Order: sequence, then C-alpha cells, then structure tokens
Amino acid sequence: MLHGQLIGNLIQGLILGAIYGMATMGLSLIFGVLKVVNVGHGAFMMVGAFITLWLFNSFGAIPLVAIPLAFAVGMALGFLFYYSSIKRLLKAPELASLLATFSFGIILEELIKLIFGSEFRGYNWALGKIKIPFTVLPFTKLFAFFGSIIIALLLYVWFKKTRAGTALRSVVEDDEGARVCGVNVGWQYALSFSLGIGLTVTSGVLLTMFIPVGINPYMGGGYTLKAFVIAVLGGLASPYGAFFGGLIFGLIENGSYTLLALIPNVEPFALTRFLSFVMLLIILLIRPTGLFRTK
Amino acid sequence: MTLLRLENITKRFGGLVAVDSVSLEVAHGEIIAIVGPNGAGKTTLFNVINGVFFPDEGRIFFEGKDITMLPPYRRAPLGIGRTFQIPRPYASASVRENIAIGGMFGSQGHKLSVDECMDMADRYIEMIGLTEHQNKPAGGLTPTEKKLVEIARALAMRPKLLLMDEAMAGMNPKDIDYMVDLIKQIKEVEKIAIVAQVEHIMRAVARLAERVMVMHQGAKLVDETTEQALSDPRVIEVYLGHPPEEKDAES
Amino acid sequence: MNKTAQKYLPLLPLLVAYTGLYLVGRTLPGMWQLIAMIAFYCALGQAFNLFLGMTGYVDFGYVAFLGVGTYGMALAISRFYDAGLGIGLIGIGLIMAVGISTLLSLAVGAVALRLRGAYFAIATIGVNEGFRYFIEGAKIWNGSAGIIFSGQMNKAFGREVANVLSTYWADVMVFIIAVLSAFVTLYYMRSKIGYALTALREDEDAAKAMGINVTKFKIIAFITSASFAGLLGAVAWAVKLTYVFPPDVFEILYTIEAIIIVLLGGAGTLLGPLVGGLIYGLSKYYLAIILPGFQLLIFAPIIIAIIVLFPEGTVGVLKKKVQGTALEKIIV
Repeated sequence: MLHGQLIGNLIQGLILGAIYGMATMGLSLIFGVLKVVNVGHGAFMMVGAFITLWLFNSFGAIPLVAIPLAFAVGMALGFLFYYSSIKRLLKAPELASLLATFSFGIILEELIKLIFGSEFRGYNWALGKIKIPFTVLPFTKLFAFFGSIIIALLLYVWFKKTRAGTALRSVVEDDEGARVCGVNVGWQYALSFSLGIGLTVTSGVLLTMFIPVGINPYMGGGYTLKAFVIAVLGGLASPYGAFFGGLIFGLIENGSYTLLALIPNVEPFALTRFLSFVMLLIILLIRPTGLFRTK
Repeated sequence: MTLLRLENITKRFGGLVAVDSVSLEVAHGEIIAIVGPNGAGKTTLFNVINGVFFPDEGRIFFEGKDITMLPPYRRAPLGIGRTFQIPRPYASASVRENIAIGGMFGSQGHKLSVDECMDMADRYIEMIGLTEHQNKPAGGLTPTEKKLVEIARALAMRPKLLLMDEAMAGMNPKDIDYMVDLIKQIKEVEKIAIVAQVEHIMRAVARLAERVMVMHQGAKLVDETTEQALSDPRVIEVYLGHPPEEKDAES
Repeated sequence: MNKTAQKYLPLLPLLVAYTGLYLVGRTLPGMWQLIAMIAFYCALGQAFNLFLGMTGYVDFGYVAFLGVGTYGMALAISRFYDAGLGIGLIGIGLIMAVGISTLLSLAVGAVALRLRGAYFAIATIGVNEGFRYFIEGAKIWNGSAGIIFSGQMNKAFGREVANVLSTYWADVMVFIIAVLSAFVTLYYMRSKIGYALTALREDEDAAKAMGINVTKFKIIAFITSASFAGLLGAVAWAVKLTYVFPPDVFEILYTIEAIIIVLLGGAGTLLGPLVGGLIYGLSKYYLAIILPGFQLLIFAPIIIAIIVLFPEGTVGVLKKKVQGTALEKIIV
C-alpha cells in the first residue's frame, strides 16, 4: 500500500521536477553569463502565473496561449531591468546586483498586488485525466511536463546549433576571448538576462498547469528557495545541470513528503519545506560546485 | 640559514601544468628576480608560496618550518608579504589606513595596537613619498601610486620575505628608476629578502637582483647570478625564440 | 583632547539625536507610537549594518535572528513566570534571546560564511522560512499555534507593571539597543576588527594574503549583528506584543526594511542607520496615511536608484562633503 503510494508520488514528483528544472534554467543562464544571482526569481514566476490566470479567467484562453505571451513579457521585463540597472552594476560589488534583483522582485509583487489584490486565486482547466499504474494524471499536468521538456530542448538546440547560441556560449566560457573575436559582449549580456527572465516567466505558466491554485503576489518566495536548491544541485552556472537538478529535487520533495507523513505528530508539508532549506545548506557545504561537476 | 626553500613544487590546473617541479632556495636578505614570459608560471608560483593555491606535489619550508598546507592568512604573520600584479589596495580606506592594516596583521601584528600601527604607517608613507595623499582613499590613486601603497602595506607587515608581482609592469622609465631605488632602499633599510617577478630581463633587473631564476613553460630553466644570466644563450632564446647569433646575422 | 575621546567623538551626534527623539516622544502628545517605531527601525538598521555594512555580505534571512530572539523571551516568560524572579525574568529572557540567536548564527555562519559573495546570499535566503517551517513542521515551541503569554506576564509582574513593560519599557529598551549597537559599531571601526572587515569587504583575497583570517572576522560581525537582532526581537516584539506567531516573526518584510534603512543611510557608516531609520520610519508612517499599501512599491525602486546612483547612501555622501572640515571628526 505504502509502496504504491510512494511510487505514485514519485511519478508526480518527476513531472513536477521537470517543471522545476525548466523553471531554474533561466536562473542558471543568468548566473552563468553575468555572474548575477536573480534573487527575485520567484516573483518572475509569479508574473507568469498571473498572466495565465488573467488570460484564462478574462478571455477563456487556455494556458498554452499564455506561453508565448509570458515569454514576451519576460523578455521585455528582462531588457527593461537590464538596461535600467543591471548593466551599470556588473562591475560593482556583488552586493549591488543582489539587492537590485531582490528589489525587482519586490516591485513586481507590489505591482501585481496593486492590480489583482493579494488573495489566493486559481483557475480550472479541466481536460480529463489518465489513469496509469499507481497514480492518476490530469492531462494538464502532462502538458506541463512535455511543455517543460520541449522548452528545455529548444534552448539546447538554440545554444548548440544557432549562431546566436554559439556566440552566447563563447561569452560563458571566456568573455575576454569572445570580445577579442568580435562578439558584442554587452549585447550578449542583455540577451541572456532577458532570455533568462523570459524562461522564468514562462515557467510560471507551466507551474500553474500543474498546480492551478494558490496563485497570489507573494507565491514566489518559496519557489526562489527551491530554485536555488535546484540550481546549486546542478552547479549554478549550467542550465542543463539545472534541469536535471529539478528532476532530482522533484523526486526528493515528493518522496520525502510521503515518508514524513508517516511520522506521528509532525506537519509533513512544513517539514518538506524545511527540508529544502536543509538540503541547500548541505549541498553548499559539501559540493558548492554542484553534483554533476567532476572538477 | 635558508629563509625559503621550495622542493619540487608542481601545480596543475586540469591538464595544464602551470608549475613544473620547481625548486628554489632564498637566503635572508637576498634579492632574486624571477624572469619569464607571460604564462611561464611565475604568478602561480607566487600564489603557491603565498598559500593561495596548495601545490599538487612538493613541499615548502619557511625558516625550516613546513608550511606547504598552511592557509595564506597564517603564512603572512610568519613573515611573508606580497604585492599583486594589478595593485589591490583597499579602495575605500585611506592610504594611511591601508598601510596600517598591513601592520596590524603582519609578523608584529599581535604586539602592536591600532595606534602604533598608524604611527608606523607614517614611516612607510614617507618612504614611498605619498605624504600629501595619506588621507585620500586609495581607490582614487594612479596605478603607480597604488603600487607604492601596496609595497608600503607589505613592508608594514614587517616581513622577512617580500614577494613582488610584476613590480614594474606598465611603468614609464622615470617610475621604473624610482621603483628600483625604492627596492634598493628597502633592501638596505629593512634587510629583507625580495623575490620580484619581471616579464623581461632589463636594465632594472640588472641593477637590482643578485640572482635570476628564469622560468619557461612552468619549469625552472636557469638559476644563476645576474651576470651569468644576462649572457646565457638559453635565457636569450626564451625571449627571442632563437639563438642570439642568428639575430645578429639577420640584423 | 586625548586620543580615546577623539575616537569616540562621533557618538556625540548619535546620543544627541536619540535623546532628542526620546524627548520628542515623551513631551509631544500622541507622538510616542511614531517615535517608538522610528527607534525600532534605527535599532534594526544599526544591528543589520554591523554585518551588511561592515562586511559587504547580504544576509537575506536576517529576520530569523529577530524571530528566534522573540521566541527566547517568549519561552522565558511562559516557562518561568511563576519562579518568583521578579523583573529578573526579563533578564533571563534577554539572555535566552541572545543565546538562541547566537546559536542560530553559529549554525548558519558555519556553513554560509565559508562561502563567497553570491553563494553566501543563496545560503541565507531560506534561513527565515526554513526556521519557520521547522517550528511549524516539528511542532516545537508550540508549533504553528505560536505562544501567547500575556497571562503569564500579568502573573509574573502584576497587571500594572506588565502593562508599563509592554507600552513603555519595551520601547525604551529598543532605544538602548540602538545606542548599544551603534557603540559596538564604533568600537569595531576603531579596532583591528573594523580594519580587518574593511579589508575583506574591499578585497577578500588581498586581505587573506595580508594575514587576515577573514572567516574569523566575518563570524565576529555575523554573531554580533545576530545577537543584537535577537535582543531587538525579544523587546520590540515579545515584551511589547506579548505573543509570538511563526509567520509574523519570520516575515521577510523586516529583512527588506533593514536593507532599505542601511542603504538609505549609508552602508558601513556609523550614523547611516540612524538617518536611514529616521527617513524610513517617517515616510512609512505618513505613507500609510496618504498612500496605504504603497510603501514597498515606492521604496523598492528607491533601493535600485541608490545602488545605481549613490551607493554610499546619505551619510556616505555627507562624509565626502565634510572631508577636510571640522565636521570630519564627527560624521562617521
């Protein structure tokens, strides 16, 4: 009985993990290229969630429609924040960009609160569900799962096969060298920051397809923490590492929830969130460069 | 007695061997120039002596004590001071504070109060000739002035060994003369050993160093007196890529 | 004037300002609430500045130290109220608050302070949430129900004294914490600790090469800052409000406010948190009247503007202006 439940939850965890992974690729991309940690990460996901909610509730548009819009909004926000401040802070002490991205998050949260209010909201996109061994999967979750994988693959192809992607990769490896070879490094910074934010906002759409409730302006905080655990698992500077980090995290999160629920007299939900914090500290303590890096 | 002894130091980065089995002995009060082109492993060797990196192989002894695995902050109080290739003074602190901070955590740091370090700083400010700038933040100085502040900061640590990274890189001839005089003065007044690294053998080195160690692709090529080194065909080959006779023939 | 007096001269404007604030609060009717709030923000800024300002490291989980400090006092009062300690009970509470916040800062610091810059920030961002969910999840310290101890306060001190403690002495203790943490800040600035912190803030690798044990000095600043936060939570939240709920005392808003105050005033300066606390406290109070709910929307862009345009903050700019004048000795 427990076996079945555990396996069922692990399957759900794997699906959620793919979304988590995709949601962290933007964070890793930005850190990899600009060495900037986007402390406001979760707030950008929240924006994606609200775009989905707004399109669905006001126009009846299905969440898949929200994906390109969220990506465009994210790119625009990325360029706005990059040119208004990040650009001038790249040479400043690290503290500056940390506090700036933290402030972006606050601005977004407060703006969304102003427009939509701060109560918890949700939407109901019912497509039916499929029964597989050990668990039941709504089609929306499957869409979110495959959507995440497709977006991750698209990013991979873009990186490896296009000129623009190659230029970006050269900046990640050696920005001085790239500069010498005629790559416009300034533009690459702007592009990767915006691309990172675009991906992050998009991930907010996919997230609501898995969890279509609990949408509110301050929902991002918990996801920022999770994204950091995942990014650090995957090596912080590697978007693909982040994707696999997400899968692992999804499995651990759902697996540990199932097991913690067996302990009498504790709150498994709260303890699971505590666990992600502990995981972060442990990984930072033993392998700050990530699990996949072989030195 | 030997002040610093390196035994077969090797440091690798991935597949690249940055320092390849280098041994070196430095006596008290001696000036040694480490010469070699960019990428020869000089700075890596400095970082190994200073403790920024631990060597993959080999041992380091300072006054007979094995310091191979000691972190940098524990080496400095033993009497190892250094400057950096690109000067790194504490930008927001004043020139005087920069130098005093050297004193506070150097070899005499445990005995000196903050006020005593400040007083001591005045002596070194005078030595480097920056008295009029002493209360300015070091971040606003010219590169040469920053370099001087770094030297004074290292001296305030009262080291027995001073490691000078690219002491004269990018300086005009006038500044180089000033620097050479300063280093000589340091040798005479402070009586400490100096290991300076320079990219090219030049007039300045000849006037300064008693010994020259030439590094090439991470390995020690030559370790001899300055006079010998200046006429050593191997040394000239490292710089010109071919023996000196051919060069004469071409010109 | 002897050297020591000269070194501690900058305390003068600080003491004048805090005394002035106190007197305004006591003499003008209806002002105490506002003044108490400003004092809280000044104290929060002074305590946070000891770490953020002096090391240049951002601790996004800072509020956790206030939170556990609040619990320290709450636990002391709710457990020992009938031990006949009299007013000494508050002393026990303060000791417990400092004890728990120091322990937490040691645990977090042992991991996080070995990491550099961005990694440090990442390690701290979950501390407040993590600790909140630990209390709620493991159901320690009464779990998500929190601790309400107004009854025990009344039993321990009598209704009247308990009331004065909450409405007056708690605020006075906030003033004391503000002054005390400012004094410690200046003491550090004038000692080797401060110089070591300046060095590591400017260039950590160079500082190491110059013989500075950077981890040790970061831990000193971290623990000092965390202990003051613990004290502040114990008086400004526990004694004043007589209850503690996990979501309230681990709320990230207070970390945000601490950052705003320190940046507004000038990170790493002595007077900065006072100026920042004053500006922030006043604007928050009046914004709540004119534009309720807008204060973060206004202050978040201001943080960005400060970082981009004048990262030295108000006092930092002022310091440059008075360089070479007689005021130089006072404005630090």
